[in-house]
Amino acid sequence: MTQPLLKVRQAKKVYAMGDEQVWALKGVDLDIQQGEFVAIMGSSGSGKSTMMNLLGCLDIASEGSIAFAGQELSSLTKNELASVRNQRIGFVFQQFNLLPRTSALGNVTLPLLYSNVPESDWASRAKQCLENVGLGSRMDHHPGQLSGGQQQRVAIARALINDPLMILADEPTGALDTQTGLEVMALFQQLNQQGKTIILVTHEPDIAQFAKRKLTFRDGELINDERNNNVRQAALENTL
Amino acid sequence: MKIVILLKTAITALKVNVLRSCLTMLGIIIGVAAVIIMVAMGAGAQQKVDEQIKSLGGNVFFVTGAFRQSGGARSASVVKINEDDANLIEKQVPGVEAAAPYLSSAGQVIYGNLNWSTEIDGIDNRYFVVRDWDLASGREFTSAEINRGSKVAIIGERLRVELFGASDPIGQTIRVTNFNATIIGVLAAKGQDSRGEDQDDVIFLPIKTVRNKITGVSSTNPKSVRFIQVSAYDGEDMDYIEDEMSRLLRQRMRIPVGGDDMFRIRNVSEMIATRAETIQVFNTLLAWVASVSLVVGGIGIMNIMLVSVTERTREIGLRMAVGAKPSDILYQFLIESIVLCGLGGFIGVVIAYGFVFMGNQYGIGAGGIIETQVVLLSLGFSGLIGVFFGYYPALKASRLAPIDALRYE
Ligand SMILES: Nc1ncnc2c1ncn2[C@@H]1O[C@H](COP(=O)(O)OP(=O)(O)OP(=O)(O)O)[C@@H](O)[C@H]1O
Ligand SMILES: [Mg+2]
Repeated sequence: MTQPLLKVRQAKKVYAMGDEQVWALKGVDLDIQQGEFVAIMGSSGSGKSTMMNLLGCLDIASEGSIAFAGQELSSLTKNELASVRNQRIGFVFQQFNLLPRTSALGNVTLPLLYSNVPESDWASRAKQCLENVGLGSRMDHHPGQLSGGQQQRVAIARALINDPLMILADEPTGALDTQTGLEVMALFQQLNQQGKTIILVTHEPDIAQFAKRKLTFRDGELINDERNNNVRQAALENTL
Repeated sequence: MKIVILLKTAITALKVNVLRSCLTMLGIIIGVAAVIIMVAMGAGAQQKVDEQIKSLGGNVFFVTGAFRQSGGARSASVVKINEDDANLIEKQVPGVEAAAPYLSSAGQVIYGNLNWSTEIDGIDNRYFVVRDWDLASGREFTSAEINRGSKVAIIGERLRVELFGASDPIGQTIRVTNFNATIIGVLAAKGQDSRGEDQDDVIFLPIKTVRNKITGVSSTNPKSVRFIQVSAYDGEDMDYIEDEMSRLLRQRMRIPVGGDDMFRIRNVSEMIATRAETIQVFNTLLAWVASVSLVVGGIGIMNIMLVSVTERTREIGLRMAVGAKPSDILYQFLIESIVLCGLGGFIGVVIAYGFVFMGNQYGIGAGGIIETQVVLLSLGFSGLIGVFFGYYPALKASRLAPIDALRYE
C-alpha cells in the first residue's frame, strides 16, 4: 500500500476556556489516501471543524501527530505551514470568505500573490480556473453581484488555483439552497474524478452521499468510518 | 514586482474608507506643510538679510560721534567726528577699502511744477565705493566740485521717477530747498534698506555744498560730518579693523587710557546678521512645534491602523489560509501606513508650495524660499513616521493565528 496522504495518530486538541479545558478532539486515528472523497458528519460541537483545521494546517494539534504527504506538521515553521496551505491545500468555507471589493478574478488570483508563480501567468491561470467552475462570463463581477452558488464556485476556483493535492470544505453547502448545494457537490465530484482528494464537513446526509467514505465524529472522537457503497452521482451536465 | 501589488492592495484598502483615510492623513498634511512653511520663511528671512548686507556694500562700519564724558557727568555737547577722521582711517587702517564722510539733511526738491520731499545728503565719491553703488547714467563728482562745494547733484532712482518720469534729468536744474543745482548723475536702483526705507529716495550733493547751504558750518568743528561709513575689503578681519579704528580715533582725540570713547563704531553687517539670527531662532522653534504635530499625526495613523487591523481580521485570516506568511501580512499593513503617510506628506508639500507662493505673490511676511532638500527631508520623515507608527499594528496583524483570525466575529 502506498503512503497515505494524511496519517493522523492520536490527534488531540484542547482549548483552554478560563480555568476549564475543553477537549475538542480526544485522540483521533485516521488515514486518508490520495484521491479519496471523504465526508465528515457528526452533531454540532463534535469536533469536525477542529479536525479540518488541523488537517488544513490552520491550527496545530495539542498532542499526537499528523503527517501530510509524509511530512510531520508539528515540525514545520509558520512560514512552512503557510507554504503548505498555499501550494498543497485548497480551502472552501461555509461563508465563502471572498474579498468584498475585489472582482471574481481578483479573488481567484489571491493565493498566487503568495506563490512563486510569475505575475505574467496570473490572469490566464485565474481565468482558466473560473472557466473550469463555469464562471467564465462573470470574471469582473464583485461578490456582491454574484449569487451564493456563484460565490461558492469562485471560492472553489480560488482553492484550485495552485493545483492543490487536496481540498478541504467545511460545510460548503451550509449557506446554499438545496439545488445550488447539489451543483456545488457536482463540482466536487468532478474534481475528485480528476484526482483531487476532497474532505468535506456536512450536516446533511444527502450531501454526504456524494462522498465515497463517511466519517462520523461524536464528542471529539471518531466513532464511525465506513465506505459509502451507494455513492450518489450528480448530473453535472444538467446543472452547469 | 511584489511592491507594485502591495501598493495596489494598500490603495484599494485606503479607498474603501476615503473620508477616514483623508482625516487620518490630515495630521501628517498639516505637520509637513507647517514644517516646510516655517523653514521656508526662515530661509526667506535669511535671504532678505543677505540681500540687505549686500546692498549695504559688504563689510561696513558706521563711525559716529558720542556724548562727551567729563568727570562722570554727561554734558549735552556731542563730539562731532569730521572729514579728517575719515581720511585718517582710510589712510592708516589696513584692510579698509574706503572711509566715506556723510552729512545728512532733508527737504524739498522742486523741478518745474513738481516737488518732492526727500533726503538731501552731502558726500564725496568714496560713498559710492563704500556702498558699492553704481551710476545708471551721468558721472560722479569731480574733485573741483567737491573742493569748491559746487551746486551739482546726483539723484536716486526714486527721485528721478518722481520728478522727471520719462525725460532725461542729466543737465537739468532743480531747486534744492533754497538753491538751484544741476543734475550730473543718476544712481542705479538699490531698493529698500534693512528698515524697509527706500534707499533710492535721495539726492546727493558734495558735502561742502550741503554744509554751506543747508546744515550750516559749526564754529568748533567746521568739517563735521554726521557719520563716516567705512568699508573693509572682503575677507578682512572685521574685529581687527574695528580695534585699529578705535585705537586711531582715541589717539587722535587724546582720550587717556581707561577713558570712555567719544565715538561709536558699529559693525552694521554684524548687527543685521544678529537680528537675522533672532528671526532664525524663532522660525526654528516654530518648525519644531510643527514637527510635534507630525508626531501627533503619526499617532493618529497608528490609531487608525489598529482599527483597520481589527476590522480586517477575517481578511487577514483568509489571506493566511491561502498561504500568506506572517511577513506578507506585516508588509501589507506597513505599506498601507507608509502610503498613508507618504501621500499625506506629498499633499502637505503641495499645500506648503501653494501657501508660500501665495505669500510671495501678495507680499505677506518676509517671503519664503522652499529648498528641495527640505521637501525631500520632510517626505522622507513622513515615510519614516509611517514605518514607525505603522509597525506595531502591522506586527499585531502578522502575529494573528490563522484560525483565530478566520473565525473572528
Ligand atoms: N477557539 C475555541 N475556543 C474554545 N473552544 C472551542 C474553540 N473552537 C472550538 N471549541 C470547542 O471545541 C468543540 C468542537 O468544536 P468544533 O467547532 O470542532 O465543532 P463542530 O463539529 O465543527 O460543530 P458545528 O457542526 O457546530 O460546526 C466544541 O465544544 C467547541 O465549543
Ligand atoms: Mg464546524
